[in-house]
Amino acid sequence: MESTLDIFVKAIFSENMIFAYFLGMCSYLAVSKTVKTAVGLGAAVIFVLVVTVPVNYLLENYLLKAGALEWMGAEYANIDLSFLSFIMFIAVVASIVQLVEMLVEKFAPALYGALGIFLPLIAVNCSILGGALFMQDRQYSTLFDATAFSLGSGIGWFIAIVAIAAIREKIRYSNVPPALRGLGITFIITGLMGMAFMSFMGIKYGKDKKEDKAATGMIDKAAPAVKTAKAITIKNEIND
Amino acid sequence: MKFLEKQLHKMEPNFVKGGKWEKWNPLFETIATFAFTPKLVTEKGAHIRDGVDLKRTMIMVVLALVPCLIFGIYNTGHWGMVAEAGTRDLAYWSDMGPKFLLGLTYVLPIIVVSYGVGLAVEFLFGMLRGHSLHEGYLVSGMLIPLCMPADVPLWMVAVATVFAVVIGKEIFGGTGMNILNIALTARAFLFFAYPTSMSGDKVWMAGTEKSVDGFSGSTVLGDLATFMGDKAVVAGQEVVGTTQAGLEAITNNYSLIDSFVGMIPGSIGETSTLACLIGAAILLITGVGSLRIMASFFAGGLMMGLILNLAGGNAYLELPAIYHLVIGGFAFGAIFMATDPVTASQTQGGKIWYGLFGGMIAILIRVLNPAYPEGVFLAILFMNVMAPIIDHYVVQMNIKRRLSRLKTA
Repeated sequence: MESTLDIFVKAIFSENMIFAYFLGMCSYLAVSKTVKTAVGLGAAVIFVLVVTVPVNYLLENYLLKAGALEWMGAEYANIDLSFLSFIMFIAVVASIVQLVEMLVEKFAPALYGALGIFLPLIAVNCSILGGALFMQDRQYSTLFDATAFSLGSGIGWFIAIVAIAAIREKIRYSNVPPALRGLGITFIITGLMGMAFMSFMGIKYGKDKKEDKAATGMIDKAAPAVKTAKAITIKNEIND
Repeated sequence: MKFLEKQLHKMEPNFVKGGKWEKWNPLFETIATFAFTPKLVTEKGAHIRDGVDLKRTMIMVVLALVPCLIFGIYNTGHWGMVAEAGTRDLAYWSDMGPKFLLGLTYVLPIIVVSYGVGLAVEFLFGMLRGHSLHEGYLVSGMLIPLCMPADVPLWMVAVATVFAVVIGKEIFGGTGMNILNIALTARAFLFFAYPTSMSGDKVWMAGTEKSVDGFSGSTVLGDLATFMGDKAVVAGQEVVGTTQAGLEAITNNYSLIDSFVGMIPGSIGETSTLACLIGAAILLITGVGSLRIMASFFAGGLMMGLILNLAGGNAYLELPAIYHLVIGGFAFGAIFMATDPVTASQTQGGKIWYGLFGGMIAILIRVLNPAYPEGVFLAILFMNVMAPIIDHYVVQMNIKRRLSRLKTA
């Protein structure tokens, strides 16, 4: 298993939501005209990610995953509710976004005005749902790891949108060819920024955690089985 | 000179609007302003009376690059002969003539391709968009060959140049508008698109492909990176044993003074820290380069080296921090790439943060990232991306400070 620090830093840089997966592009492109609104939206995304991913982690591990309901009793052990995960995750995200919206409106009306329609749209920001689904896919071993991942993803998204907002402010008076003005040049800048962010790809920050003994045992047992299966297919091919 | 001036004046009416060769105006204007200071004055914006314009500034940088270029040609020739002989035991300062000529046969085509392709693209854009040829390419066209390995295929240089000039600069509106350093964009493009031609132990010495089997043309960075893996190899020899043995192997093959003078394999222009420092002196005396960026970049690299020394564990982590400043492209990047006035931070305070982080990230990537033996160019690209936001916050802080002063008064 990767160390927690590794998960965190990877989520910021080499597995950046924007530059590696192009998630949450709509608000990234639309709200990055000035640094101020970009900072606001970036902070909102960090907050929503940090709250929703751990909640979804608990849902995933104690409700949805195959065998997750075992804590209710042995008769529930082979129930698999993972087909519900999309709708559950999105429901959690939507309700928490409502909460954030109310808080922002109450405490930062100016920011609320500046963010406009994009604040409610965080609910359908792909990076938020993406965070939950990556968490499910990568099967983080502890709630702490999942939280570190969500915080890292949020910070990565924040850095991306703030950096591009500053660049867009800088190139506002550049003589860009007319056909590329606006979104076109923004996409190209995003690509170039992605190239710069690739510098962190492949770095390991902490020592790997020791594998669970049981897990290693399972792998050892599985390996010969795979080998035999392969041998059989090869044999069949030769026979054919 | 008088004759040339007269001829240019005679030809001018043909090139101005309504003239016979109106379309070729960018070319004419380039040649005319390159040879003589134009009479044109700025029509709007700030007016500064100065004999130095962008072309002269850029020529200054090219002059500062000349020591690196000359040393680079010789160095390429030397390692080319080493690769031919198949042994690293060749004396460095003998056979100077043949070595220089051999180096020239490798380096000159790269420079010609870089300038030819780059200027052609610039010229095309100038004609299409109706502006004169941009001066920026004078420097980029020299920087691109200097940060390439000697063995790079020429068509790759051409492709990278087109990519860097079009995507990196022209679509942003030309010189002064780009967000990433042009030469580094070209380098990074090749690095990610054709990794086998830009890394490994076959590309750094001219002609290694043809040399005897088992000869390793690795660079000091490539060798050092092997310490982070399972098997440490220095100059083709496997190193076993303690950290101490590893450090000795490195210092025997690449001593500190050799690395400082540049007698090590590497990209064409980057190996000699000495030549880079001569260039730095030219840049600083003429006021073209920024001392803040250079100094803070070196300081950042040194700091990160010391931090990694504290962590320790293997020969790479315990390599004396001063080594990091003289090997690879660190000095070249800090002096010629990071100080690019367009893509670096513009504010005085921002320049220090920009350099400091750049230096630290460069060493961090170099040491900790097994996939990328050299981190300097990636770190500078990353800081290019971050420079506008650094500037933004430096300006905001300044506004805040001055506002608070206003309130107390």
